[in-house]
Amino acid sequence: MARAIRRYGTLVGIIAVVLFFWISLPETFMTARNWLNISQQVSMLAVIAFTMTIVMVMGDFDLSVGSMASLAGIVAALAFKSGFPVPAALALALAVGLLGGLLNGVLVSYIGILPFVATLGTLTIFSGLAFLISDGKTIFGADIPASFSGFARGGIPLFETGGQMVSLPYLTLAALVVLFLVWVLLEHTVYGRRLYAIGGNAEAARLAGVRVRILRFSAFGLTGVGAAAGGLMYAARVASANPTQGSGLMLSAIAAVFLGMTMSEEGEPRVLATFFGVLILGVLDNGLTQMSVDSYIREILIGTIIVLAVASSSLSKLSQR
Amino acid sequence: MSYALGTTPVTLLSIRNLSKSYTGVPALKGASLEVVPGEIHALMGENGAGKSTLIKIIAGAVAPDRGTIEISGHPVSIDHPATATRLGLRFIHQELSVIPELSVAENLFLGRPYPRRLGFLADWSELNARARVALNALDITTIDPSIKMARLSTGDQMLVKIAAAFLDEGGEAAKLYVMDEPTAALTGEESERLFKVIIGLTARGRSVIYVSHRMDEVMRIAHRVTVLRDGETVATRNIAATSKAEIIELMTGRTIAEAYPARLSDPSPEPVLKVSNLTSARLKDISFELRAGEILGLSGLAGVGQSELLRLLMGDGKVVSGTIELKGKRLKRDEPAGRWAEGIAYVPRERRREGLLPRASVSDNTVLSHLKSLSRAGIFRNRRSELARATEFGARVKLKSVGPRQPVFQLSGGNQQKVVFARAVLGGPSVLLLDEPTRGVDVGAKYDIHALLRELAASGVGIILVSSDLPELIGMSDRIGTMLDGRLRGIADNANITQAALLSLAFGDNPAGMMSNISPQGA
Repeated sequence: MARAIRRYGTLVGIIAVVLFFWISLPETFMTARNWLNISQQVSMLAVIAFTMTIVMVMGDFDLSVGSMASLAGIVAALAFKSGFPVPAALALALAVGLLGGLLNGVLVSYIGILPFVATLGTLTIFSGLAFLISDGKTIFGADIPASFSGFARGGIPLFETGGQMVSLPYLTLAALVVLFLVWVLLEHTVYGRRLYAIGGNAEAARLAGVRVRILRFSAFGLTGVGAAAGGLMYAARVASANPTQGSGLMLSAIAAVFLGMTMSEEGEPRVLATFFGVLILGVLDNGLTQMSVDSYIREILIGTIIVLAVASSSLSKLSQR
Repeated sequence: MSYALGTTPVTLLSIRNLSKSYTGVPALKGASLEVVPGEIHALMGENGAGKSTLIKIIAGAVAPDRGTIEISGHPVSIDHPATATRLGLRFIHQELSVIPELSVAENLFLGRPYPRRLGFLADWSELNARARVALNALDITTIDPSIKMARLSTGDQMLVKIAAAFLDEGGEAAKLYVMDEPTAALTGEESERLFKVIIGLTARGRSVIYVSHRMDEVMRIAHRVTVLRDGETVATRNIAATSKAEIIELMTGRTIAEAYPARLSDPSPEPVLKVSNLTSARLKDISFELRAGEILGLSGLAGVGQSELLRLLMGDGKVVSGTIELKGKRLKRDEPAGRWAEGIAYVPRERRREGLLPRASVSDNTVLSHLKSLSRAGIFRNRRSELARATEFGARVKLKSVGPRQPVFQLSGGNQQKVVFARAVLGGPSVLLLDEPTRGVDVGAKYDIHALLRELAASGVGIILVSSDLPELIGMSDRIGTMLDGRLRGIADNANITQAALLSLAFGDNPAGMMSNISPQGA
């Protein structure tokens, strides 16, 4: 019973929120344009939350994704500035994400530091690096190539309404591609099943022949790449890079995964459930902004949602005893 | 054992028609139990028979749906664990809640005011003196109350818990101890000391409900036995007037002709595993050969290195020197993953902590060690073949489950262990390492596991069996090695070895002629 409430409660919550905004904003909310807009607004958060799911499957998490997103944006912008072609600059930024993620992996998996402590440390390191290499300044304007920021504004044209073209944004498409890749990785590969086994009981998994250390190490690397990708999408969207622009993403990404966990059968992180978690946060943000609700109140709401989601998962574990 | 109950004993605990269902599934269906003062009353039954539920109800952890409980003739309602304590009931579990960093004396008097000096300083010598008195009251003289709990063996920790429970609590003296599998983690010698204390308790008028799967212990120390099956009380018997065979029949509802299945074939002379001078931090210079189709038992007191040896063979732990050869091929340093790939399978000691992913399904648990070989192209999982193999090997080990998708935490202990076995057998291993494979497993499941071991041996698998259950070692092994202080003292043929001989070997004696091929470094 409690389990059903937990599992379907979240779904009922989503529907209630959507209905509420639909009634409150009858003109603008329930339109294709607005939903595509929401999908674009949440795309960076989505990419980071999807890849965050990879480490959370093992029972770990990564607090450094927000500052890694900022750092990746700065690295790409500085590379543009010093004349790198766009693909090379992007590859460099993603490589920085991979290295940062693998650093987390070394700390957690080989040195044995708790993920909370290790990634809190690297959060600060990445953030400091972003400030250091950017001199604390925002990089914008002519330094950012048009092909980079143009990607974030572009999309695949779908249909015309009221004289305006409605398009599927490339950023949304990128997030869907990442969703598909992470879904295949976690649900349909040996690698993914082993990560779930580590989350189920790391010691038992190790004794049963799962190479726990290298898997944890590599999973953090993937989360780092995802954080960098999210940061690049953000930088493209605002056509600039500054050393703090990703910092809000970490908490929302963790909130999205926790929200998703409330919907999955065993209370495990599932990437398709994370998708719904992201959607809830995106819809709330969009609707409340349209209703001109103060952004601080939105913060209070997101914090409340995290606490409720985590509380419901620990309550369900208690009731199983 | 000889004993005489009083002519008209007043019943201490009387349970009638106790019923309890969990979400519609009955766990107890009218169970009854009577315990008289001063008796050791064994409570037996297969896993899932309702023993745990019955104990939880007496402990006040679970409320019954129907039925009555009387203590000394007065109806009581045990609605809370504190009520059970006030009524004089004490519970000793196999997983002890001790605080290892505090001293024995502090653990004894936990939750009570310490004796003070100057009104606020703890008076340690007074505390230790009181602890000494409390331990002496039960003839526990070998434990120093001032040392840390962590330094005691599991068996001694249990004795301290019993002594703590013997102290008056909540104004009511202990009347009845409920001990759930107390010897599961104990060595033979520790068990002996426990039995002495238990018998001492009954001599002081206390009663004991003794839950155990170990038939020999029950036959030795209990006065009466009550057998539960499918949530009902099947029978209560005087131990003097019953037999192991009858109890097993009552528990299972069927006759098990032999306690251990017969050997199906002789081991081949070919060694499958050759260990030479293996040395680690804990183990010293261990050499032996395991033949294909052989069951090699390993005995010894708890913590003398049997588990470490299996772990080291499994690639867990650091080898200082020495070699391990599998079918003539020297194994290199690797994690357990590499050993599974070479064809060594492992059933770890602690099923819940080291063996299972509790929330995952039977299928996921079974195929865990074989994900790659069951996959497509080594990368993509093949769910259909996973389910098929899990079902096939579940049947092979006679697993009782709703299906391969059932989460393993819902299974009984015996069936959980069968899942671990299904995993070990699935890859077709050439060597199988077993650490206490039937601990906490009911009689029926135990027999199934033993029969499986015989089949595997007949098909050429070399098996190392670590067990503190001496009848099991003797009943199953072709040869039995004894370990002492990290060394393998030698390996004896199992033709005519006895429990007593094994025990004295474990303590360091070598009865003449018993150890025919003592390894030179062990002598």
